[in-house]
Amino acid sequence: MHISFLIHHAYGTGETVRTTFGLAGALAERHDVEVVSVLRYRDAPALELGPGVALRHLVDLRAHGPARDRADPAHTRPARVFPAADSSSGQYSELTDRRIAQYLRRTEADVVVGTRPGLNVHIARQTRRGTLRVGQERIGLDGHGRALKSALRGAYPRLDAVLTAGEADARAWRRGLRLPGVRVEALPSGVPAPRLAPADGSGKWVVAAGRLTRAARFDVLVRAFAGVVAVRPDWRLRIYGGGAEKAALRALIDELRLYNHVFLMGPANPLESEWAKGSIAAVTAGREPSATTAAEAMRCGLPVVAADCPYGPGEIVADGVDGRLVPAGNSAALTGALLALIGDDAARRRMGAAALASSARFDPAAVAGRHAALFAELLAVRRGNSLRDSLHRARGALVGGAYAAKYAAEHTARAAVRGVRTA
Amino acid sequence: MSASTRSTVTGPGAAGSPAQRPDSGRPGERRTTATGGEPPVPVDLKADCIADSAGGLTFDLNVPQGTGTSWSAALVLRLRGGAGTEGADDEVRLPLGPNGPGRLRAVLPSTVALAEGRWNAYADLGDGRDACRLLPGVNDLRSLVDRRPLAGIGRLGVRIPYATKLGNLALRSWLRGPHAEAGDILVTPEGMTVTGRLYGASPADGAQAEARARGADTEPAAVTVPLAVDGPDFTFTVPYDGLAAGWRRGSGPWDLWLRPAEGARPVRIARLLDDVADKKQVFSYPALTVRAAAGELRIGPYYTLDNDLAIRVTGPPEHG
Repeated sequence: MHISFLIHHAYGTGETVRTTFGLAGALAERHDVEVVSVLRYRDAPALELGPGVALRHLVDLRAHGPARDRADPAHTRPARVFPAADSSSGQYSELTDRRIAQYLRRTEADVVVGTRPGLNVHIARQTRRGTLRVGQERIGLDGHGRALKSALRGAYPRLDAVLTAGEADARAWRRGLRLPGVRVEALPSGVPAPRLAPADGSGKWVVAAGRLTRAARFDVLVRAFAGVVAVRPDWRLRIYGGGAEKAALRALIDELRLYNHVFLMGPANPLESEWAKGSIAAVTAGREPSATTAAEAMRCGLPVVAADCPYGPGEIVADGVDGRLVPAGNSAALTGALLALIGDDAARRRMGAAALASSARFDPAAVAGRHAALFAELLAVRRGNSLRDSLHRARGALVGGAYAAKYAAEHTARAAVRGVRTA
Repeated sequence: MSASTRSTVTGPGAAGSPAQRPDSGRPGERRTTATGGEPPVPVDLKADCIADSAGGLTFDLNVPQGTGTSWSAALVLRLRGGAGTEGADDEVRLPLGPNGPGRLRAVLPSTVALAEGRWNAYADLGDGRDACRLLPGVNDLRSLVDRRPLAGIGRLGVRIPYATKLGNLALRSWLRGPHAEAGDILVTPEGMTVTGRLYGASPADGAQAEARARGADTEPAAVTVPLAVDGPDFTFTVPYDGLAAGWRRGSGPWDLWLRPAEGARPVRIARLLDDVADKKQVFSYPALTVRAAAGELRIGPYYTLDNDLAIRVTGPPEHG
């Protein structure tokens, strides 16, 4: 299979780049894989890309690069295909519209995978026929504003598949957007095996990690830990990460007189070195990327005590097997779950071992295998009955409803032509 | 690699274009550079670092397959700010030997003394080229986290690997004997209580802790309090009145020392025995408001950039 990933900026360091590079690298073991970066601001990618993966860009904006693209007047005019409601639309233009369309029209890939909503819209509307159109949706449906949702309603019926991070989110997409004939599937992010031995569970440390934001709810964890220290003052907590909430958390730690027990460690990279020092991981945030955080800790052999949020670690942790799930935002419940694991060495070690075993499902090779199998299945269906396929597409475009009216006519016409040809 | 390798570590102003300057930008920007007809020079060597509880470090390097190494290949540690002169103690060469395909290993045993300071790590593959700066790989420092050596240890060596601001591999080293290790610190209205453990000496009669005003040339220069001792473990409480009385203006730091016995040489109190290279940000304590003749002062403990324990006394905000 030839698989092409379309990404906003592959030369940066964000979470999307990291997961896309991971997935592309793992798929490249058996497939032809390319990563197509719409924009290019830097000479070399900041993150490591697997040796078998090709990388290219569509619009070159390097400060010292060729001036052709930077000076192109089309780049000063707003985009018309890329939806204005996508938060990165400010960097898109008539020029990116044109180059992306060109790429999608000419691609020889069997599968094109979009990595953000705006790019998925391009893929839905402009990909040459015969190529599988896949849109990744990692943020979650309720993370999108109304304007973006209506833009997606118009375009997504023409995708072949929408890939979410979790099952609950996949259900939300099936329910929230009418996408008949579009495969909506939950496929987790890959988490590589740690490059050091797993935690042995002997240390008296609880470890947490993530951006210090209000949504991460580290305040709940710090309050919960006051209850832990009251019973087990020999245990301590490390929180890795930086962010805007640092000062507030510092003040909370001082107020609760936990400064000998709770430590704000600052950002750490790679995190696996830090998980390995702990015996229990705590995850208080809901939804992605906290689910990936939980998976990372489990791959290092830590049982995870997590807030039971429908879109987050609740789908990753099996309560009582490889960790504990507690009601979100409930410090007392979190204290109880932590103390139960702290007080039971055997249970802690057993759950740690279970976490290590069960998290193998996040191995990039396993995740890549699930992607490849899904793509192959969809391609086979497509090739097996392209008439039915084109009818489904036409219908999909129509049921997009009023939102899709603008594009539906054009697409129905195209699908009808294809239907005649293949009949 | 250019000759600027050694000089670019501590300051700007190094020669060479950005692409050639080994300390410019993020590690990911470094790539293999080829010069003329010579084979490519590997400039992005990473070292994984494993610590043992005795203070020893093992460095594992990934090198491109087929990289030839000679008998003289070495991992080179250079003391930052060292003289760099022949025979000085500011360079340590650790033999780099093969350790499986594409892997090289060097060991820094706990018995090799490293002067206190920051040491930059380089790889010299013995191929006649300049040693190149190493990047950090994956560190396994779990054995350092709750490190608790025997109290009788004569001289305590501590080495903690870390990534510099520019993303290079370096070590922080401390070499102390005797050493007073600070543990939990309690900030209460009565004073600041420090618990800790003494290594390389036994607290005896007349043992005391001293807070010394840094750079003070006027009285009172020191506040002295007795030590409560239980084997190698100690506790003392520094009341605020003496510190407050010594305040003149601005924010005056007081360094904390421990005198194991009457007439014994004082030992700096520090926190060294874990995996955290820079304590100042991580081990943070509240300051308490204390009323003194000079007005409202804020008094609180902190760790210096060398991880030594100190107390800061801050005056009321100055107007005008």
